[in-house]
Amino acid sequence: MKLSLLVILFVDLCGFGLGAHGQAMFRGNPAHTGVYSGPAPRQFHRVKWKFPTGNRIVASPVIEGRTIFFGSDDGNVYAVDSETGRQIWKTKTRGPVSATPAIANGTLYVGSYDGNFYALNLETGALKWKFATGGERRFEAKGLHGWQPKNQTIADPFDIFLSSPVVVDGAVYFGSGDGYVYCLDANTGQLNWKFKTGDVVHASPAFADNTIFVGSWDSYFYAIDAKSGKEKWRFHGGEDALIHNQVGFQSSPAIMDGVVYTGCRDAQLYALDAASGKEKWRFDNQLSWVITSPAVLDGKVYFATSDSALYHVAEAATGKSLVKEDGRAYMFSSPAVVNDTVFIGVFNGTLVARDAATGKVLWDFQTDASKENKGWVLTAERRFNGPLLFFDNWKEGPLIAQDRQISVGSVFSSPLVANGTVYFGSTDSFLYAID
Amino acid sequence: MSEIQLVSRPNRSFLGFTIAAVISFALHVAGAATEATEAASELQGRWSGTIQIPGHELVLVVDLAREANWSGSATLPGLNVKGAPLTDIKIEGADLYFGIQAMTGPSVEPPKIKARLSNKKLVGDFLQGGNSARFALEKIGPPQVEEMPRSTPVAKEFEGEWNGGYELLGYPRKVTLKLQNHDSQPASADFVIVGRKVNNLPVDRITQQGNFITIECNAFGITYEGRLENGEIHGTVLQGPSEVALVLHRPK
Repeated sequence: MKLSLLVILFVDLCGFGLGAHGQAMFRGNPAHTGVYSGPAPRQFHRVKWKFPTGNRIVASPVIEGRTIFFGSDDGNVYAVDSETGRQIWKTKTRGPVSATPAIANGTLYVGSYDGNFYALNLETGALKWKFATGGERRFEAKGLHGWQPKNQTIADPFDIFLSSPVVVDGAVYFGSGDGYVYCLDANTGQLNWKFKTGDVVHASPAFADNTIFVGSWDSYFYAIDAKSGKEKWRFHGGEDALIHNQVGFQSSPAIMDGVVYTGCRDAQLYALDAASGKEKWRFDNQLSWVITSPAVLDGKVYFATSDSALYHVAEAATGKSLVKEDGRAYMFSSPAVVNDTVFIGVFNGTLVARDAATGKVLWDFQTDASKENKGWVLTAERRFNGPLLFFDNWKEGPLIAQDRQISVGSVFSSPLVANGTVYFGSTDSFLYAID
Repeated sequence: MSEIQLVSRPNRSFLGFTIAAVISFALHVAGAATEATEAASELQGRWSGTIQIPGHELVLVVDLAREANWSGSATLPGLNVKGAPLTDIKIEGADLYFGIQAMTGPSVEPPKIKARLSNKKLVGDFLQGGNSARFALEKIGPPQVEEMPRSTPVAKEFEGEWNGGYELLGYPRKVTLKLQNHDSQPASADFVIVGRKVNNLPVDRITQQGNFITIECNAFGITYEGRLENGEIHGTVLQGPSEVALVLHRPK
């Protein structure tokens, strides 16, 4: 009895205890609330380790036991020791792994830009099964964002993430660039059902009350019966026939107390009734996208915007603004709430820790690439230096501009907080552990 | 004694010092004036070189000319900046200061230059977005300062108030344009767009050619181009990537 207690205490003190479990999917749980338990650094102490990969890391890490799992755009899925940063295994796919893995019953589930969905052995990385979707693609439109030539179909470089799976009751759910939401048998990879939307589904489905909630780039947000794959309701977001800039759900929803919270590229954060899809309130961000997936805790919704670069906390019941802080640059990373601290990545190559109550910055960490600021991508205040970024609206100019933007080690990855350490990836190709 | 000596010595040498100082000052002023004239003369021309931005060398071409006043323009190849006017040109001896009316953006001021003529090179600092980088330019020829098109007076048919509306990104906008002539001077305009906010647009340029009129507002990146037809102006609002039709009518 004493021994067991000692063992439990030891495990907990080492930080490999229960707190490290049950967080093994995007946003920490099937409802995607973005809330994590355990201690979180209120002060910056050090970079505990940083792990190099071959290309940018845009998706988020997850933890199971003492191992961190994540995908990189170099095509690999990695397992890394959370304490030492030592590589345990890697498994190659044939495309960028821009999705966050989910873990259940000794299996890691993740999609790749190669159009396949993978189930890997958690201990070894060996392939258990893979499922071929209809193929991946990014959101695209003619004259997208007003870029020229107007009649040229342009793939959206800001369609950064792939859909991250949610695993519940032996089924795995995810969206795909082929426009479908899939439900597979988690053990065999057999198709249970697939649900057709009108465009790319790169948002990550959330699960609550036997319902799958997910938005599509067709500008609809869907509630789908998790067992049958039948539509329960759909909600129509904004449209933008002119330049396709203010359209589509890229944000992944969070579900709390019967309410769905989701951002949209139509610049709204919506609160929808989970049972009916009826709009409860909307928070207008004045043409600025809401790509972040909101976090919800204790009656507050935490989210951030892109162009207006604002960090917000709103009242969950009414949408009333409680906190509005300047974030300096676009935020695509989703906030992680741990007790009294919120962590969020910023496009300018920083990870920021904020006080949950006031929104004030407690500390921030800047990547070396952001400090170097090659080509003056950033101003001295770490805002995007527009004139040295988007100076060419023709042909591949805007795409090259986006490459320039992410050269500062942008943090798209949503922070994982476990055992007092913050883990996140960067477009500088490193996974960071900070405590 | 020592006090007298101490007092008398400076008194005796004060005159000499004063004369020497006056001569020295006069020579200095004359020299400085000559230097300034030489510097001013040397500054005229087309200058070309590079700005040492970390990880990205930027080519800069500056044209400087002096007639009654100094004028100039700048080109930054690859950055879509061609013949941008130089602003606030100030020359103090061999030192030169100016701004470049280009490369602005949200929270980003136009670039500023601090330079000095040294060994026939123009060397200095390029300041932009709170960042600073060294540059060195060499004279490669005579100046080719680009003149910006200027506002014109407008025909009587265009004068007065016009109203219209358009929708952009799902939001309706109401437009009021008031054009006014000032004898033979360029016309002025009040250009107001009311969406969710009331925007009084500072108009940089009004140009009319025949029945075609253009109103430009650089601060908002908005241009209106329209053609007068049957008492209405049929045109397009150009803002960033958007082009939206706007018909302006006389108020009822």
